[in-house]
Amino acid sequence: MTNNILLNILLLAPLTSALLIFLLNISRRYTKQTLYTLLALSGSGLSAMIALYISYTSYFEQKLFVSNLFTWLNIGDFTIEVTLKADALSSFMLLFVAPVSFLIHIYATGYMDKDKSYGRFFTYFNLFIFFMFLLVLADNPIIMFVGWEGVGLISYLLIGFYFDDIQNTYAGNKAFIVNRVGDFGFLSALMLLFVEIGHGGFSYDAIFFNLSLIDTPMLSLIALLLFVGAMGKSAQLPLFVWLPDAMAGPTPVSALIHAATMVTAGIYMVARFAPLYNIASDVSLFIAYIGGLSALFAAIVATRQYDIKKILAYSTISQLGFMFMALGVGAYSTALFHMFTHAFFKGLLFMGAGAIIVAFGHKQDIRELRGIRRSVPTIFIMMLIGSLTISAIPPLSAFFSKDAIMGILYASDHLDLFFIALLSSLFTVFYMFRMIFVLFFSENTTEPSKNSVKSMNYPMAILTLLSVFAGMLNLPEIFGGNLMMSSWLDLADKHFVFSHANEIFLMSVNTILICFILYYAYKRYAYKDTILKESTTGLVANKFYIDALYQLIIVKPLYALSFFFDRKISHDLIDTSINSMALNYKKLGKLFAFFENGNVRFYALYMLIGLVLGFIYLFLLLKAML
Amino acid sequence: MTNTFIALAVPALLLLSAIFILLFGFSSYYSKNRGYYITLVTLFITFCISVNGVGDIHSAEVFPHIFNAMVVYDTFSATFISLFLLGGFLSLAIAKSFIDKTNFFVPESFVLFLFSLFGMVVLTMANELLTAFIALEIASMAVYVLVGLNRESLKASEAFFKYLLLGSFSASFYLLGMMLIYAQVKSTNLNVIAEYILNNDLNSQLLIVAGSMLIMITIMFKIAAVPFGAWVLDVYEGASLPITAYMAAVFKISVFAFIIRMFLTNNDFVQLVFDPLIILGAVITMIGGSLLAVIQSSVKKMLAASSVVHSGYMMIALASIEDIDSSASSAIIFYLFSYFISAIGAFGVLSYISKGTDKLISFDDLNGLGKNSPIIAVSLTIFMLSLAGFPSTIGFIGKFYIFTSAIESGYTPLALFGAITAFISIYYYFKVIVHLYFKESTDVKVQYGYKVSLAFIMISAFIVLWGGVGTSLIFNIPGINALNELSKYAIQSLVF
Repeated sequence: MTNNILLNILLLAPLTSALLIFLLNISRRYTKQTLYTLLALSGSGLSAMIALYISYTSYFEQKLFVSNLFTWLNIGDFTIEVTLKADALSSFMLLFVAPVSFLIHIYATGYMDKDKSYGRFFTYFNLFIFFMFLLVLADNPIIMFVGWEGVGLISYLLIGFYFDDIQNTYAGNKAFIVNRVGDFGFLSALMLLFVEIGHGGFSYDAIFFNLSLIDTPMLSLIALLLFVGAMGKSAQLPLFVWLPDAMAGPTPVSALIHAATMVTAGIYMVARFAPLYNIASDVSLFIAYIGGLSALFAAIVATRQYDIKKILAYSTISQLGFMFMALGVGAYSTALFHMFTHAFFKGLLFMGAGAIIVAFGHKQDIRELRGIRRSVPTIFIMMLIGSLTISAIPPLSAFFSKDAIMGILYASDHLDLFFIALLSSLFTVFYMFRMIFVLFFSENTTEPSKNSVKSMNYPMAILTLLSVFAGMLNLPEIFGGNLMMSSWLDLADKHFVFSHANEIFLMSVNTILICFILYYAYKRYAYKDTILKESTTGLVANKFYIDALYQLIIVKPLYALSFFFDRKISHDLIDTSINSMALNYKKLGKLFAFFENGNVRFYALYMLIGLVLGFIYLFLLLKAML
Repeated sequence: MTNTFIALAVPALLLLSAIFILLFGFSSYYSKNRGYYITLVTLFITFCISVNGVGDIHSAEVFPHIFNAMVVYDTFSATFISLFLLGGFLSLAIAKSFIDKTNFFVPESFVLFLFSLFGMVVLTMANELLTAFIALEIASMAVYVLVGLNRESLKASEAFFKYLLLGSFSASFYLLGMMLIYAQVKSTNLNVIAEYILNNDLNSQLLIVAGSMLIMITIMFKIAAVPFGAWVLDVYEGASLPITAYMAAVFKISVFAFIIRMFLTNNDFVQLVFDPLIILGAVITMIGGSLLAVIQSSVKKMLAASSVVHSGYMMIALASIEDIDSSASSAIIFYLFSYFISAIGAFGVLSYISKGTDKLISFDDLNGLGKNSPIIAVSLTIFMLSLAGFPSTIGFIGKFYIFTSAIESGYTPLALFGAITAFISIYYYFKVIVHLYFKESTDVKVQYGYKVSLAFIMISAFIVLWGGVGTSLIFNIPGINALNELSKYAIQSLVF
């Protein structure tokens, strides 16, 4: 089979199944749930298999997959080809996006079981995979932007999935609007790029080839605006506010879109534009600091959250912050590797949370869910492994990925960043085990209202294995590895000299500190009622008042302005004047209708008048000319 | 299929099947239905034959020894012939329910259809003034009778008489003009006239100037330009709906086809003498038409008045034609197609929901249609959007081409004026949409039946949408680009 057909199938399989499910769904005919399940799983399953094959061949044979679909635009010299291209970076993205999507699809069949909007859910879900693939496989930033907007749209639709509750719709709106701010940055960056070097073609290769033609301030501006886009999509300070609210959607959505795939689009985009960011080093450093602040901020806020999904949401912001720190100092493949492992363990944690939510009658507050270890032992084990992974306990996967980031921050001479990272990592341990100990280690017992569903457990088990072992793919040298993944990705990484002794020292210190925090959390929360005594006021519990601040300085003035425009400008000025114009025109029409009086003699007279006027004109014209 | 064959076969088939129905119409075997189907099949077959002449550039005089260069068959005429046949077919096919439910259609009514189409076919091929006149009168005569088809209706008879009187009145100008031209050039052949104009100075062209002014008046009458088109409201109102659709969409196009041919063969002359007149006419026509359209309370009369406005838009393009390569000339063909398909659809929907009754459909009669018969409402909405020139419909593209070509030719104020008129037209077209969806209504489901009529309405709606967004890159269905290409071929064949 030729390569481009493979890529096309990979892209179109989820689209086709989304379309079929959609048609079945709107036909209002009674459709068995199994048919939806079959369609949804076959679409995502097929693309997952192809994705694995593609990344396999890309890894071992360094093969490049390219598929020219069609020409989208052809204006003068400017052409936009819809081309799919799976180079090492794209194949790497496929390697985790497609299988994790498939696993979460399986999980969702259990989670959404007997939901009245089952079909609608999987239409969105499959469509999401389509747009995500488009984003990842695009050969130029325009097509990437199509995918980028597409996933944003699906995210909006799924956050407000249960639109019966108006709060969910508000959460969806918030996500969409905040993301528009980011998209504005992205789009402006693309326009600037187009103005500067659009004449040389707009594929990534052409852009990077022509980068030297742009002068430095403009390049920095472009890099900054691009990062604003990443900031929105990957929920970094100050545009993170939508992600915690996005947890209003069903849990599989949080697992797939708001943990494993869509939120990593920002990381992917910065890594994709690595040549640009290597030149604009100021902006890179800015990225690193934004990442660091986000990591620390979110980790601190997470220590006072009670909603199980919100804890995980803040944790996602924090982990994404880690990745941006690595991106900022130029260690692109290290950041991508953490994104890779993050997809597995965060997906796992969300799925575990979802399983708990389903089992205990849609309770999400950890204070109401204490002592559930005996009722859901399998979920306990998997959640525990997930939490140990995110805390970077050796030899679980995140240990390798997170320690690589810490090591690079240390070696890059940005000690401040290193300490921010270390602190955030310790907070991570604290809030994760606060959750674990409250949920599972308590004398109280809560009985489940529903037994766990098998189709939800299998994907979790697979993700558990993956979060344990995925680290092996990029073993550092001191453990006998050779950083296989980094050499496969072959990005424009900056290299830092870093002695093995230092590395081992760092790891040990880090691990000891983590164990210490773990013990502290155990002492504080296990078999105790500390959680109930925590105060719900204060800076941290109120998320540093950021939401309130935004409300005060952005939302309220905007509303006031809109109100002014609505009442004064739109209503009083425009509507009134247009209405009076229409009214006068109608009056004029009534007058004119006098001529249309139905008398043939009048009509013939008009013709004669026209004739006479025409000949007078001709007479004057000819007189002038002759 | 050779081009000569097509040029002969199409009119011959139309004529033959008309004569066939006439001869056998008296036998009780040939009922109204059979006449209808024979006509429909004839139109379909002739359409299939005539589209073979579209798409490549060709031009040849048909049997020059016999017809003495009076008729010419080129891509231009092939394109228009296909358009008429398609238009005739669609308006008849959509009118099926109307024809079945009324009793004034007899087998001979369809003969008139065929005769008028025959006249139009010859009109587009005519390369000579007298042939054109005869063809135009063949078509007009048939249409006069079609207008007065419903003898029991006083309105229809009145409309018939008005149209006949004024039509004959205007035709006399044509004859007079032709005579003056002949007096000077000693020929009525368009090419010979063009040559004469090129080779002589203005002093020896005075009779041509006067004669063409007179011919222009007849043409302005036919396309209902203000102030010559005062008949249009009364006649369109009196005629039954399928006939109105046929007149507004198909008959008007045929007149335009002849003007374009005449203008492009004598382009410099027309530009010099008549451009200011046409511009003035376009402005008055657009103002007058939209003034009339705004105050109408019946949908049919509103469409009739708005068809005057559309004539105004096409006059903009006529004035903007500078030479064969200017985009105005192909823009006008594109616009003709876009208006034709939207108008057929819009009138078709009206005739479909009127169920053969004679009553005028007012805006209030449309209330609640969006809820009770969503498909019809959506189709009507699409046609209204297209007529108003709303993006993603073919009407938008048509207007876009016309206005840009006007700007290209340096008539920016005229394009601006057209845009303002289009803006006003939103008022009366969207009024229909408002009544479809946003007015209180009783929840009564009406069974309209005649799925075939509905299917053709939906096909027209699809064409309107596809012509606005489609491209032949997808599924190989001709979209905007193909239509544009076709109109360019048609124009280029005129100088081939």
